[in-house]
Amino acid sequence: MLPGRILWYDAFTKEWNMLEIKNLTKSYGDLLALDHFSLTLEKGEVLGLLGPNGAGKTTLISILAGTVRDFTGSVRFLGHDLFSDRNLKNRLGIVPQDMAFYEELNAMDNLLFWGGLYDVPRDALKKRAAEILERVELSGRMKEPVKNFSGGMKRRLNTAIGLLHRPDLLLLDEPTVGIDVQAKVSILDLIRKVGAEGTGVIFTTHQLAEVENTCSRIAIMDCGRILAQGTMEELIRLVGEKDIVEITGNFPAASFTEALQDLDGNGIELLSAADNLATLAVADTEQIPKTMDRLFRRKLAVTDLKIKTPSLETVFLKLTGRSLRD
Amino acid sequence: MRRLKRILRIAGNDIRIMVKDKVFFFWTLAFPILFILLFGYLYKGGETAPPSAELTVLNQDEGRWGAYFLEKIKSPGIVLKTAGTEPAEYNRLIILPPDFSEKIEARKDQALALKKREDASAAAAARVEIRLYQAIARLLSELVLYGDGDLTKFLDGHAEFRDLVTVKTRYPAKTITVVPGGMDHAIPGITVQFIMMMVLIYGGVTVMEDRKKGVLSRLLFSPLSPGALYQAKLLARWLMGMLQALMLFVVGKIFFRLNLGDVPLSLLVIAVFALATAALSVFIGSLMGKEDMIIGLSILLANVFAGLGGCWWPIEVVPPAVRTMGMISPAYWAMDALHKLRFFQGDFAAVAPNLGVLLALAVVLSILAGRFFKIRD
Repeated sequence: MLPGRILWYDAFTKEWNMLEIKNLTKSYGDLLALDHFSLTLEKGEVLGLLGPNGAGKTTLISILAGTVRDFTGSVRFLGHDLFSDRNLKNRLGIVPQDMAFYEELNAMDNLLFWGGLYDVPRDALKKRAAEILERVELSGRMKEPVKNFSGGMKRRLNTAIGLLHRPDLLLLDEPTVGIDVQAKVSILDLIRKVGAEGTGVIFTTHQLAEVENTCSRIAIMDCGRILAQGTMEELIRLVGEKDIVEITGNFPAASFTEALQDLDGNGIELLSAADNLATLAVADTEQIPKTMDRLFRRKLAVTDLKIKTPSLETVFLKLTGRSLRD
Repeated sequence: MRRLKRILRIAGNDIRIMVKDKVFFFWTLAFPILFILLFGYLYKGGETAPPSAELTVLNQDEGRWGAYFLEKIKSPGIVLKTAGTEPAEYNRLIILPPDFSEKIEARKDQALALKKREDASAAAAARVEIRLYQAIARLLSELVLYGDGDLTKFLDGHAEFRDLVTVKTRYPAKTITVVPGGMDHAIPGITVQFIMMMVLIYGGVTVMEDRKKGVLSRLLFSPLSPGALYQAKLLARWLMGMLQALMLFVVGKIFFRLNLGDVPLSLLVIAVFALATAALSVFIGSLMGKEDMIIGLSILLANVFAGLGGCWWPIEVVPPAVRTMGMISPAYWAMDALHKLRFFQGDFAAVAPNLGVLLALAVVLSILAGRFFKIRD
C-alpha cells in the first residue's frame, strides 16, 4: 500500500527531500562511528561520500540498510520514517561492499532470486533481469555460474542486483573496490546514468577520481561527521587561491612541523606532515624559497618539490589533516 | 502472505543450491547406502524367508490317513517333497510313522517328528509349523464329524462340507511377527545418522558462509524481517533432512524391501527429529566462524549420538547402563520410536513419549538458535 501512496504524494506535492538524515549517532563501545551525522539528498542527485577507512561510511550504509540498530537520530525516506514500514525497502536499492550473492548460481538465477524478494511482479521480473544484465554487459554470460566470473564481472552483478527492482534511492558501498580500470569505468558510468534517470544515488568511496567525475555533489566525512559538502568547485574554493606545495625528502614529521610553525602569518599553511612527505598551501610562491631556507638551516634534507593547483585531495588534506591513503 | 512467500523463496533457493552441488548426492545418498549395506549385511542374520517354505515328508504310513493328511498340508506357500528314506539333507522334515493311520483309527495319541536344519530360515519354519497345525486341526475336526467312514467319497458327494473347518491363525497384540532384519534396522539407523551428519555440516557451514559473505545482511536489505530470515534458514535445513530421509527410504523400499511399519508415524518421527537437527545446525553455524570447526564438531556429534542412540546396532541389545546413557542422544528417541513402530507394532500412544522428547528438544534448540542467529560478524 505504502509505495502507491508515496507515488501519489510525490506527483502533487514534493514537499520533502528524497532522503533526510538528521543527527544520526552510532557507537560501538567507546568508538563513535557516527557523530550527529546529517545529510539530505534530492531526486536524481548523485552524492559521493568521501572518507578514509574508519570514517563511518559503511556504518551509515548499514544503518540505512536496516542491518545495524541501536542508534539515535532520524532517517526520513520519501517523507516517511525509513524504519517504520518494511515495504519502504522496496524503494531502496543497496549495493554492499561484499560480493553478496550466490556464486553457485548463474547471473540470471541470482537476479531472479534477489528480485523475487522485492515485490517485483513475476511476469516483469525476467524481463527486467535481462535488461539489467544488458546494462551491466553480462548478457552474454548470464547462464554461466558466477563463480567463473572475474572480479569486475562480479562487481557489475553485485551492482545489478541492487538496481533490479528500480529503486528510488541507490546506496553503493565502495562499489569499485578491487577491480580493474575497465570494470570501474563501466560501474561509474552506470551510476551516472542511473542518477540521470532520476534515481537518487549515494556512493561511498575513498577514491578521489571517482567522485570528481561521477558526482553532482560531494561530501567529505571523517570520524563519523561530514566535514564539508558541495560541488567540486565549492569544495576547492575552501582551500582559497593558494598553490599546493608537496615536499619530499628525508626528515621526521615533527622536525618539519617545528621548522615551519610560525609561518602562518606569511600565507603558508601546513596541510599535512608525515615522515619524509609534507604538503603546504602557499598564497604567494615567493614564500617558497624562504621556506626552503628554513628547512636547510635545520639540516632537513629535501629531495623533491612539486607545485600543484588545488584539487579535491587538497581539500581533503586541509579538512582531515591526512591523506585518503592513510 | 508476502512474508511466507519470501520465506519459501529463500528456503527453496538453499535447497536448490544444495542439490546443484555435485558432492551432494554422494554424501546424501551414495555414502549412506554404503553404510546401510555394511551394517545391513553385518546384522543380516536369517531373517529373510524364501517365497516358498520347503517341507520334506517321509511317509511310512501303511494306512490311508497319511496321504489324506498330506493333502491337508498342501498350500501355495509350501513346497512338499516326498522321500522314501530319511534324506541326508533337508530344510525341514516330517516323518509319518507306519502306524500313523492305525493309531488314528484306534483313537490313540501319537507324536510326529518335525526336524529342522539349524541354519534354515526361521520365518519359513514358522510358516510350515502354522500349516501343520492347520492340517492337524482340520484332520481332527473331520474325523469328529465323519468317524471312520470313507471321508473322501463323502466329500465328493457333499462339496459344501469340504471346507467346513477353516483354521485361521492370529497373533496377540505386540507379538513380534517379523524377525528384525539387518536392513530393517540399518536403513532407519543410517538415515537418522546421516540426517545429523548432513544437516549439521551442510546446514551449519552454509549459515556461516552466508554470514561471512554478507549474503544474510543483503537478504535483510529487502523487506524481510530478521525473524522471517531465521525461519527461512530453519525451514531450508529441515527440508534438507526430510529430503535425505525420503531418498533413503525410497531406495530402501525399492532395493531392500524396507518396511517401516506405520509409515505416516515413522515420517512424523523423522520430521520432528529433523527439526531438532535443523535448529542445532543453525545454532552451530551462528556460533562458529570456521568451516573446519563446524565440520569437526558436526562429525563428532553425529557419530557419538548415532552410536549411543542405536543407529549402528539395535539399542535393545546393549547393556541397560549404556541404554540409559543413550537417552542423551536425540537419535535414541528417534530410533526407539522407529523400532517400536517397525518391530513391536507400536501405535501413536507408544511413540508419543519419544515424539514429546524430540519436540521439546526441537523447541529448545529453535529458541536457542533464534536467540544466537547472527546476521553479521
